[in-house]
Amino acid sequence: MILSDLLDLPVQDSTGGRLGFCVDARLVLDGPAGGGPLAGARLHGLVVSPRTRTSFMGYERSGVRRPWPLGALLERRHAGTFLLLWDDVVGVEGGRIVVADGAVRYDAALER
Amino acid sequence: MRRDERLPRPPTPAGRVLDARLHLLSRQVLDADDVPLTTVDDLELRSTDDEPDQAPAVDGAITGARTYTVTALLTGAALATRVLGGRAPASRWLRIDWGRVADIGTVVRITGTGDDLDATWTERWVRDQIIRRIPGGDHDPE
Repeated sequence: MILSDLLDLPVQDSTGGRLGFCVDARLVLDGPAGGGPLAGARLHGLVVSPRTRTSFMGYERSGVRRPWPLGALLERRHAGTFLLLWDDVVGVEGGRIVVADGAVRYDAALER
Repeated sequence: MRRDERLPRPPTPAGRVLDARLHLLSRQVLDADDVPLTTVDDLELRSTDDEPDQAPAVDGAITGARTYTVTALLTGAALATRVLGGRAPASRWLRIDWGRVADIGTVVRITGTGDDLDATWTERWVRDQIIRRIPGGDHDPE
């Protein structure tokens, strides 16, 4: 697949309930190097925003909260953003990402 | 995210964590000589179950049961579809193998020079077919 096959797609549970939209894909460099200097980049999870298909420079995943008006606006807009592990994805079909029942919502914040 | 809705931290993976859209897409690609080559327009991901010459999976064949890894940075034709939607045929993608990626920071650096990349064919064509025909255009300025 290509990354665009995932980005912006609606994310739903197995009953069709809407969880949000896929705003980003989280990769982890822990795979076999494949002959290059960097480790392989494995698809680790999806960042899901309940309200919006976009993310303003990853603001909701960083610790940045200033300037205050912008921080307050974006904090409200992206409230509830969560990380879904790829193992909890059932599949991508019909232009939507289907998630397994009982999938855990994790904090999407990046380590600082 | 609202601070009163703390979610559990995910399991800490062993390697460096990158968010694809945030850390890779639209980043400039430089070669080992710091020559700008292109930008990252999309990523190609393949399952470990895919055959090497098999076309990457599309909608309906993507499942969380498989492990996907990034096999290439895509540039060129991938940009229009990323903005407008749809999917260009795989034959039109200009690929930079992940094995050539040397560093990811504010720019993406690759090993070697960009002369052998498909992604730079337009520059080579303009150089060879147009610039070289201009008097004095086939050598460095003295």
